[in-house]
Amino acid sequence: MREILLNDIAHGRSGDKGDTSNICVFARKPEYYEIIKREVTPERLHNFFGDMVKGEIIRYEVPSLGGFNFVLKHALGGGATMSLRLDSLGKSMGSAIMRLKIHVKDEEL
Amino acid sequence: MKKIAIGGGQGFWGDSPDAAIHMIHNADIQYLACDYLAELTLSIMAKQQLKDPSKGYAPDFVTRLLKAAGKTAWERNIKILTNAGGMNISGCVDAIRQYATEENMKGYKIGYVTGDDIKSKIPQLLKDGWTFPNFDYEGDFTDIVDKIYNCNAYIGHEGIQSAIEDGADVVVTGRAADSALFLAPLAYEFGWKDNDWDNLARGIMAGHLLECGGQGAGGNYMYDWRSVPQMENLGFPIAELTDKTFEITKAPDCGGVICEQSCKEQFLYEVLDPANYLTPDVNVDISNATITQVGDNRVRIDHIHGKEKPDTLKLCVGYHKGWKTVSMLSFAWPDAYEKARYCADIIMKKMKQKGMKADDVHISFIGLNSLHLNVADMSEEALKNLNECVMRIAVFSEDKNECAKIIPEISPMQLNGPPGASFFGGRARVQEVMALWPTSVPREAVEIKSHIITI
Repeated sequence: MREILLNDIAHGRSGDKGDTSNICVFARKPEYYEIIKREVTPERLHNFFGDMVKGEIIRYEVPSLGGFNFVLKHALGGGATMSLRLDSLGKSMGSAIMRLKIHVKDEEL
Repeated sequence: MKKIAIGGGQGFWGDSPDAAIHMIHNADIQYLACDYLAELTLSIMAKQQLKDPSKGYAPDFVTRLLKAAGKTAWERNIKILTNAGGMNISGCVDAIRQYATEENMKGYKIGYVTGDDIKSKIPQLLKDGWTFPNFDYEGDFTDIVDKIYNCNAYIGHEGIQSAIEDGADVVVTGRAADSALFLAPLAYEFGWKDNDWDNLARGIMAGHLLECGGQGAGGNYMYDWRSVPQMENLGFPIAELTDKTFEITKAPDCGGVICEQSCKEQFLYEVLDPANYLTPDVNVDISNATITQVGDNRVRIDHIHGKEKPDTLKLCVGYHKGWKTVSMLSFAWPDAYEKARYCADIIMKKMKQKGMKADDVHISFIGLNSLHLNVADMSEEALKNLNECVMRIAVFSEDKNECAKIIPEISPMQLNGPPGASFFGGRARVQEVMALWPTSVPREAVEIKSHIITI
């Protein structure tokens, strides 16, 4: 087993709907899909983001696109003009998630 | 087989018109749709209109796009659809009329669609028992009803389609759903019925891939941003549909990239449940969709399905929430972060002495953790080598005067705080905070009307 960053095997983009952030995450190669499915769970993301994300985290699987859609509620400090954050729309949530450390077997890469 | 091509000309109010102008001159398209409205844009427009009744729409549509290429679009028979009308559809129509008259575009037809603004109907709806439940937070709508700037329903494609049927060369709406601008011409051209859910869903996803402009063609592209050719001439995406196929491409002779990965990133952007992407026109299911490269800068989209549209329309309500101010001060190596942190502590102690009553304070450090917050790298190694760091303190208060108390306390820190502080950008301002009340309204409460005038 070794530790890598999600950034090594995935790409994605984040958007906003009010105080909800959506982050789509896609496997850079088809075989990485299962790794992401195993490693990037809502529970792990709750621990990872901590109080940055105050609400529920839901994961939707979209295997036909080799990706996932993560919906993070109450995640933008109020959203839009309400938020006091520099990135009130969560444009950088897509890169923030890529810092997640994940564990893979050597033969999986 | 009949093929219709439609371009995405604008991603938001303030976006560059360059790609749309290039497309009008160079692309083989029949329609161009331009989205100007983000979630809170209408509140900003409503506020502008209160100060000056001639404002409240996106004038750039006329001053930056039509003036540069509106006549060419008309000559090439490219119809333009836009929600640039915002809160002041008639103001936008007047500006277009004036432009077309000056350009001597006799016979030019301007269509517009009204009915999305239902602010005046709120008292009656409340009397009828509609509670405007907040989808995200607890709360009672009657508590904010006096503070509302705008109350607009996200309307679907029907009104826009009527204007196209009546021969409009340009169609202006207020809060039409972004994707409805794109669906309308497709439903018109292919004769899709209002319950042809699969086809309506395809049209919506064409709009979804195009409504953010450059983001659908290699802009904001995480997969391989270095590989995107000529970002200085970034093309915006074009959807080409037949009754059976749906492809995305871009105009000739421009930058950008259309590939599986670039389309995927936009495909799920701002989607919640992929099996139930709710729009006013159809409930879209993209949970089994596929994106396949079929040519140079050309992908094909398949397996999109649609289900019956929702009973209610999403309502965009913007209201006054309070005030905020953001202050910044920069520090340099060595110990840039430590100094910035120390300075923020001093300022907050001072604010306590002065009795500032803030409802919320957010402190972050630009160059370190202002974007990634909790998950930024704050290791000793990252901090040790930091060249510079900007302290940022944001304050929210329902009371404007409380919010303003921090402003004069920042620049004195250059002489009275840790070494090397540099103040920039002038004194901070207090800005109004507007908030969204995400809710819905019965379809019957919204009367959509389509109009047309001829120059």
